[in-house]
Amino acid sequence: MTGTPIANDIRRLRTERGEMTQQALADACGVTRQTIIALEAGRYAPSLELAFRIARTFGVGVEEVFRWETQ
Amino acid sequence: MTGHPGRTIGRYGVMLVAGAALWLLMAGPRTVLGFDPGPLGMVLLVASAWGALYLVQFSARDEGEHAISPGEWRARIGFAFMLGAVAYFVAKLDLFAGPGAVDSADARAVARNLVMLGIAWAVLGQAMASRWKGRIQEDERDREIARQAGHWGHGVLVIGLIGLAVTLGFSPAHRLQWASHFLLANLLVLVLMLGWLCEYAATAVYYWRDRR
Repeated sequence: MTGTPIANDIRRLRTERGEMTQQALADACGVTRQTIIALEAGRYAPSLELAFRIARTFGVGVEEVFRWETQ
Repeated sequence: MTGHPGRTIGRYGVMLVAGAALWLLMAGPRTVLGFDPGPLGMVLLVASAWGALYLVQFSARDEGEHAISPGEWRARIGFAFMLGAVAYFVAKLDLFAGPGAVDSADARAVARNLVMLGIAWAVLGQAMASRWKGRIQEDERDREIARQAGHWGHGVLVIGLIGLAVTLGFSPAHRLQWASHFLLANLLVLVLMLGWLCEYAATAVYYWRDRR
């Protein structure tokens, strides 16, 4: 479950949307808060469906939230 | 989970009760007290599991402590519960050996206690589910962890069964005097329990690694 090459800007997007809480994002996406914590820390790569759910919650495209990070 | 003195005392209290419960379960009929404290130990073990659940509830409410997910709590308490059951079973395994074991009252008492532990665990599982009622208890990450942990449990189950099969299949008959059908049935149950124990342990470790 560790060391995913998929980076994300979830924390920044939450901050830009008026300090949206991790719990609020988790509820909007239908996941636990611990999953949002793991995503933000880069310890978990989401499924395509969850990636789309998160992007839709922020009202942006998937590629604006997630990116492939080469070493 | 740190800071509040009441909760710290409660935590040590639960550990103390759980330790006493395990001792009473292990002591069994050979107790110095002159009676079988097994049922009392089982009641105390269930009570300590309830106590742990109560502490989880309060720590989550008071501290805003949500770093630990429902799935991880279930794995932790499940591991402790199954570890107690396996230790109890292993400590009493000699009661299931021998020609008269099927009719032994002591062996029946151990089997009854194990069944009661299983029922108590099922009830506790329902109580834990209701504690997080209204919240999302499981998502794709939990299912992925469960899938990976399931491989460990399955591996232990397969190794145990192969070990038993090889022992029975390749040992000369005179060295299998101990292998009564009753003992073999109980060994199969033990292998199953070890598989569950390993699965709970792996689940807890995967969650812990995810939080580091």
